[in-house]
Amino acid sequence: MADKKIMTTMHEKDMQKVTVTQKITKVIVQFLLYAFLCTMALIIVFPFYWMIISSLKSTVEYRLPIPTLFPQEIMWGNYIEAFTAANLGKLFMNTVYVGVVSTILSLVITVLSAFAFARLEFKGKNALFAALLATMMIPGELFTITNYVTVTKFGWLDSYTVLIVPFLVSVFYIYLLRQNFLQIPNELYLAAKVDGTTDLKYLWKVMIPLSLPNLISITILKMMGAWNSYVWPRLVTSTDDYRLITNGLRDAFTDMSGQANIPVQMAAVTVVSIPLFLVFIFLRKYIMKGVSRSGIKG
Amino acid sequence: MKKFLQKIRFEEWKAWIYLAPAVALLLVFTVWPIINTLRMAFWEDYSIMKELGGTLGNEFGIKNFEKVIKYQGFIDCLKNTMLLTVLTVPISTILALVIAVCLNAIKPFQRFLQTIFFLPYVTNSIAIGMVFEAMFNIVGFGTNNPSFGIINNILGVFGADPINWINAGSGYWQNIAVLVIYIVWNALPFKILILLGGLQSVNKQYYDAAKIDSTPRLRVFTKITVPLLSPMIAYVVITGFIGGFKEYSSIVGIFGDDMQAVGGESLNTMVGYIYDALGNQEGRASAAALILFAIIFVVTMINMYVSKKKTHY
Amino acid sequence: MKKRIISLLLVLSMIFIATAMVSCNGGEGAGEGNTGKVAYEVPAEGYDGSAVTITFYHSMGQKLQDVLNTYIPEFNKLYPNITVEHSSMGNYDGVRDQIKTALTAGNQPNIAYCYPDHVALYNVAKAVVPLDSFIESTIPVTDATGTESVLGFTAEQIADFIPGYYQEGAAFDEAGTMYTLPMSKSTEALYYNKTFFEKNGLSLPTTWEEMGKLCEQIKAIDPDCVPLGYDSEANWFITMCEQYGSDYTSLNEDEHFLFDNETNRGFVKTFREWYQKGYVTTEEIYGSYTSGLFTATEGQKCYMVIGSTGGASYQQPPQVDGNPLFETAMATPPQVNPAAPKVISQGPSVCIFKDTNPQEVVASWLFVKFLTTNVEFQASFSMASGYAPVIKSVQSNPVYQQWLDAANGYTNLTAMSVKLALAQSDAYFVSPAFNGSSEARDQVGTLMQDALVSTDADIDATIKKLFEKAVAECEYAAD
Repeated sequence: MADKKIMTTMHEKDMQKVTVTQKITKVIVQFLLYAFLCTMALIIVFPFYWMIISSLKSTVEYRLPIPTLFPQEIMWGNYIEAFTAANLGKLFMNTVYVGVVSTILSLVITVLSAFAFARLEFKGKNALFAALLATMMIPGELFTITNYVTVTKFGWLDSYTVLIVPFLVSVFYIYLLRQNFLQIPNELYLAAKVDGTTDLKYLWKVMIPLSLPNLISITILKMMGAWNSYVWPRLVTSTDDYRLITNGLRDAFTDMSGQANIPVQMAAVTVVSIPLFLVFIFLRKYIMKGVSRSGIKG
Repeated sequence: MKKFLQKIRFEEWKAWIYLAPAVALLLVFTVWPIINTLRMAFWEDYSIMKELGGTLGNEFGIKNFEKVIKYQGFIDCLKNTMLLTVLTVPISTILALVIAVCLNAIKPFQRFLQTIFFLPYVTNSIAIGMVFEAMFNIVGFGTNNPSFGIINNILGVFGADPINWINAGSGYWQNIAVLVIYIVWNALPFKILILLGGLQSVNKQYYDAAKIDSTPRLRVFTKITVPLLSPMIAYVVITGFIGGFKEYSSIVGIFGDDMQAVGGESLNTMVGYIYDALGNQEGRASAAALILFAIIFVVTMINMYVSKKKTHY
Repeated sequence: MKKRIISLLLVLSMIFIATAMVSCNGGEGAGEGNTGKVAYEVPAEGYDGSAVTITFYHSMGQKLQDVLNTYIPEFNKLYPNITVEHSSMGNYDGVRDQIKTALTAGNQPNIAYCYPDHVALYNVAKAVVPLDSFIESTIPVTDATGTESVLGFTAEQIADFIPGYYQEGAAFDEAGTMYTLPMSKSTEALYYNKTFFEKNGLSLPTTWEEMGKLCEQIKAIDPDCVPLGYDSEANWFITMCEQYGSDYTSLNEDEHFLFDNETNRGFVKTFREWYQKGYVTTEEIYGSYTSGLFTATEGQKCYMVIGSTGGASYQQPPQVDGNPLFETAMATPPQVNPAAPKVISQGPSVCIFKDTNPQEVVASWLFVKFLTTNVEFQASFSMASGYAPVIKSVQSNPVYQQWLDAANGYTNLTAMSVKLALAQSDAYFVSPAFNGSSEARDQVGTLMQDALVSTDADIDATIKKLFEKAVAECEYAAD
């Protein structure tokens, strides 16, 4: 009994000693942590700073051999020109439309496939899943030409269909969601089956709510995809009726020799980036959760 | 027993219904292009324009592959791709790991800093490529009073001589260094995202235990953090390798369509070669794409094998 | 086993579909005329007045599209049933890539902006309409205003084209089949700082020899400067070949790439010495447009630039406190033989694509004819773009003349550059265009850059190696 008491007091003294040195190290370590993180953050942020100041420069200043770190004369006019030169309003609506429709359809297809892979048993399941994953390794550039010929034969050029359908299935999203579904205990499913709950109802009532963060991240990634896609829409559309925002960005500010008016382009890029930044800041939690979950069982 | 079998059959039937939309779309927009790629790769001297003009021969074989492999330019592309991958994957993974661990260890401003580190996720690659070019550029290179980009100015503060990173006559390794920095910058957000997510889901008990034992930080890092994070690290490394072998736009972003500094060695990559050949030699492009696929496949298999042996769950 | 059979069946069916999808592309009735030129079967009735929609792919910016949009209604006054749709593909390469892909699906536009290299590529697919049959056609056409004319060009119309520009359309085969018509053209000019030249009593160089001496002189006056900036290395190399009369490329299929020869190695070596002495820089080497050096207000300067007449506005002197810093003037670039000057011809032409509906082809021809021969359109387009018009009669248009007369070396260099481009019109040359000619252009540009900056001791060996490498790359690409 006494022995034990002595041991405890000794231990406490030790602890106190450690705490003092620990406190000092902790302060130093915290300082170093912040110094390191802030330096890295500056490096990360610099290009954005550059984008914004470039959007406020005149063409002449942008072309100066010694780049200026702050515009000599702030050209808000670039932003006005960005709005008037590119048909940004119409392109914006197109992008939103394509983004929303393709996200909804894509979610349905992804959920159904992920469910089949995660919960149902069928012959060749593993082989099929492996084959799907293997397609992720093929450079996508090679698909473009063949797909273009296909959609032309289907008569889909210059339509919303052509912007939406070819990219509805993403192996990556199926994979992501399947991992998520697998984490939901199978017992729940079996119990639901015993109760006579249909698959779809189970999906709707249990699986979907439980994997909501992942579904939200897929939504965001898909919307971002619509926002950033460039090569395909340029290839399959020829009028502003169906073009997407990035096409407007690249095409509207070129002169006869095909050289871009970069400051105005940067202004447009900045404007177009703002919604993405906002979405990102407000929904960061979901993006993080979704993507990191997929990593857990990588 | 019979009932059980029936049930299995029903489930199978159901599974295919669920998969039908995905499989149908994949057949048209993924499988068919792959088959078409095979067709073009094994058709000697295949080019779409020739086929349209009716001047294409009718011989099949591996001539396209031979031409690609024997071409010195392709070998250089292969070398560059390998080099960039081998350099950038470890660097970006380690850096992302360090940043993630640091982020996880602070309280004030954590959310703010997290947001900043994720920013590159939402950028326009052309714009950022141009920025990196401007940062390393020396305008008026080879003249009496050139103006140095911000990087050389920073080096100057530390008393270092300006380095010719990307301009005329710059060396291969300087070029590679710039590319590595750009690619790592680009790759960081995704990796930090995943590693930080992993860290936050790690059970605090392990750390509390280490605290009581007053284990040194470095030891905590190597003995607890890294093993616990190993599945995430494996994931990041595998996707990093796949991305690395598909590297292309970063080189265009900095060095332009020429894919090299003036007077320098070519920095072209495998995907760059495929793009070039797509101009008018789809047969060779397809052959090169298949070669690239084979390489990525083998490397991924090796990666998975190694990570299975090394990951701790 | 069953699984294997199923997957085998699947693969087989896909291959079947593959062959089915591939083998459906119809050709057009094309044959050889008695001159060796490729002919096209023009419908006997000419344009039958039917309603057709034709598409035009180009790389015009908004300003030029506005000009085009004002003139399409003018065209429709003549042919109300022809609907013209047009869209910009951003830049020349964008037009080429788009059309190449569109051709694979039989979905090509009717008319496109083109460079000779592009047409050579489309010709592999035999997709471009040879124009001689149209040009020579005497089929009568009556437009909506009741005016009667012929489908083809009249002798006066052909004579109105600036010959150098018109000839470019015939650079595709040895018989000289016309595949393109010029739309809007530019060339290279020597821009110089007139104020600096006058102050120091310098005279304009007409030969390369004089240019070398002049650079030495300028270097003595301002040791920090680079006297000359040359914007395009490839243009430089190709122009030198033409000026020396040495081989560059040929249409002969067995020996397309002839540029590895004594003369060419010689001028590359000379210009390398210039670069090493600090006489000259290029856009790629300098790392930015050389116009930046030319218009610099402080620090390093250059006093001469050889660049496109289309980029004249960038060579305008900067304003300091509301006053231009100097006066820019323009001249023909230096020559090997000033008595027979040679300058490169650039800028877009237009070509017409074959189509299953011959009426679309005829309608396209009528529109192309309108664009290239309508004086008002050519004048407006030139004023908006800073490129030269392709027909001579534009110069007697009063509005255009007024615009040209307003040219000055301080604020209106664009008009001055068009003037010079027109004045140089006898000196234009074009290089042969074939499948692989764009590779040759890229390779000689790279070769020129690499040679200039090389500091190897045995420079002859290095230059030899660079030439060999460039030829090898060209041959691999064309093989």
